[in-house]
Amino acid sequence: MGIVFDREPLMQKPAMVASWSGIGNIGLLALETLRAQTQAEYLGEIEPWDFFYPSGVMIKGGILEAMEFPTSRFYHKKYGEKDYIFFLGEEQPPDSGWKKGYRLAKLVLDVAEKFGCGRIYTLGAAVAATHHALDSKVWIAASDEKLIRELKSYRNTVGMSDIEGRGSGSITGLNGLVFGLARKRKLDAICLMGEIPDYLSGAPFPYPRASKAVLDVLTGLLGIPVGYDNLDEMGHHMNELIESIYNKFPQEMKGRVEQRKLTAQPKTEAITEEEEKWLKEHIDELFKKGESGQ
Amino acid sequence: MSDLLKFSWQPELSRSTMIVSWNDDNSTLGMKIADYLIKKLDGRSFAEIDPVDFFSLGTVNIVNNVVQFPENAFYVCPEQELVIFKSPPPNYEWYQYLSLILDVARDHCQVQEIYTINGMSSLTAHTSARTIMATFNSPETKRLLSGYDLAGDWDFQTPPGGRRPRMTTFLLWAAKRRNIPAVRFWLPIPFYLAGTEDPGAKKRVLDFFSQRFHWQIDSADIEQEIRRQNEKLARIRQNFPDIDESIRKLENNLRLTDEESQKLGSEIQRLLTENEI
Repeated sequence: MGIVFDREPLMQKPAMVASWSGIGNIGLLALETLRAQTQAEYLGEIEPWDFFYPSGVMIKGGILEAMEFPTSRFYHKKYGEKDYIFFLGEEQPPDSGWKKGYRLAKLVLDVAEKFGCGRIYTLGAAVAATHHALDSKVWIAASDEKLIRELKSYRNTVGMSDIEGRGSGSITGLNGLVFGLARKRKLDAICLMGEIPDYLSGAPFPYPRASKAVLDVLTGLLGIPVGYDNLDEMGHHMNELIESIYNKFPQEMKGRVEQRKLTAQPKTEAITEEEEKWLKEHIDELFKKGESGQ
Repeated sequence: MSDLLKFSWQPELSRSTMIVSWNDDNSTLGMKIADYLIKKLDGRSFAEIDPVDFFSLGTVNIVNNVVQFPENAFYVCPEQELVIFKSPPPNYEWYQYLSLILDVARDHCQVQEIYTINGMSSLTAHTSARTIMATFNSPETKRLLSGYDLAGDWDFQTPPGGRRPRMTTFLLWAAKRRNIPAVRFWLPIPFYLAGTEDPGAKKRVLDFFSQRFHWQIDSADIEQEIRRQNEKLARIRQNFPDIDESIRKLENNLRLTDEESQKLGSEIQRLLTENEI
């Protein structure tokens, strides 16, 4: 178990941005967009077999040629005088006790420390009582107050603890674990979470609108300009799909969700437990119907 | 040595062969062959893997009123330098589990070749010859076994979103990382025998091992089993024209309807197990 580096360039106090797949693939899609547009170069990866089950196999002429695993890869980009490390985790380890997740998170932070990172960003999703027709806000959390003040100066951000004055919250999965561990290692740590409507949180497709919102804040912080054409195009297609699914919601549920659009700063009700149950039971069916309607 | 490996004694082996059996196919062919060899060659268990990190132990299964518990045991047949590992496929920590098996293979038993055996339900008739489809973990392993009539020229790639590879494939890959030749056998089994026994498939695999390693295995009992089963099936075909017709179609590579397939499978299983014929 370890990390295999393709190269080890000298870096000047780089910033690291890390994200794993998760709800709506919001963070991962934002980071993949950044990686692709900046043409960041492959740096290395975490050996996967101790963390993941194989995802595919290639056999040629009866000989096992290759076995595929979910990837956990690091990329490097020098932009101007600044260095950036991007970490993209294709999957989170299938481990209910989080032992593997913990070990994986530590390896990512080992790389951050190895190259002298001063700051680490993680990107994820915020399940919210919002509507898919509204722009996603970006929930923020950080390792100290000073960073929170910096983050709040960016448009469209909202402190995670300020949502409806709830004071506390939680971030599940590796996007949260790395964030917490980074603070423990005394790294400046920031977590950016794009809002996704609660009724889409179990949907098996990405939510580019939130990825775009996260990327917008992130690139402002990093000082790297990017274009949003791809995310906009993907968002347009996804919106058609979401609309086709949404139109099949029970009328009462749809009516309550529609009201979310009418309030500027939503102090809205989350979907009920019954509605959540209904969604879980029907999401595959809805998705299939939506897909066939394209 | 890992705390998860428990040795009751240490066999002295210099160039052994290992068979890894998981009961993860619907015919459990690999497990049947492992049990047969252990019985026939006086296999003795010598080590086991502690199941705690690998299996869900919150519930135990009861089969025919008998409590089941995952067996993760290594057996040795010293005369043949044969090591057999038997277990259900683990629920968790596949790589760690495979690493323990390979630790035993390499560090304790000097294993030179690893075999794993699966049956797969197939739209073939019991009257057709049994073939062994093989997957090798390297070109060298394929060359090593080129003279043994194994069907090994096939291609496969997991399609996007396709089913994850099984433990057996993972084993080949993990063995390759340790430079241990490993082979997976897939034997097509007539689907209507998958729920009972296919002694023909068992015999085909045992013949391979006898040829490869010159083991003296008296397989008269299996040959008798094959004869009895063939006689029974012949009587069934005589007495049940619709079953005969379905098998005849399979013999001529013709497709069965879903209804015909279902009926053939359930009727043959019933007639063979209830000894009505």
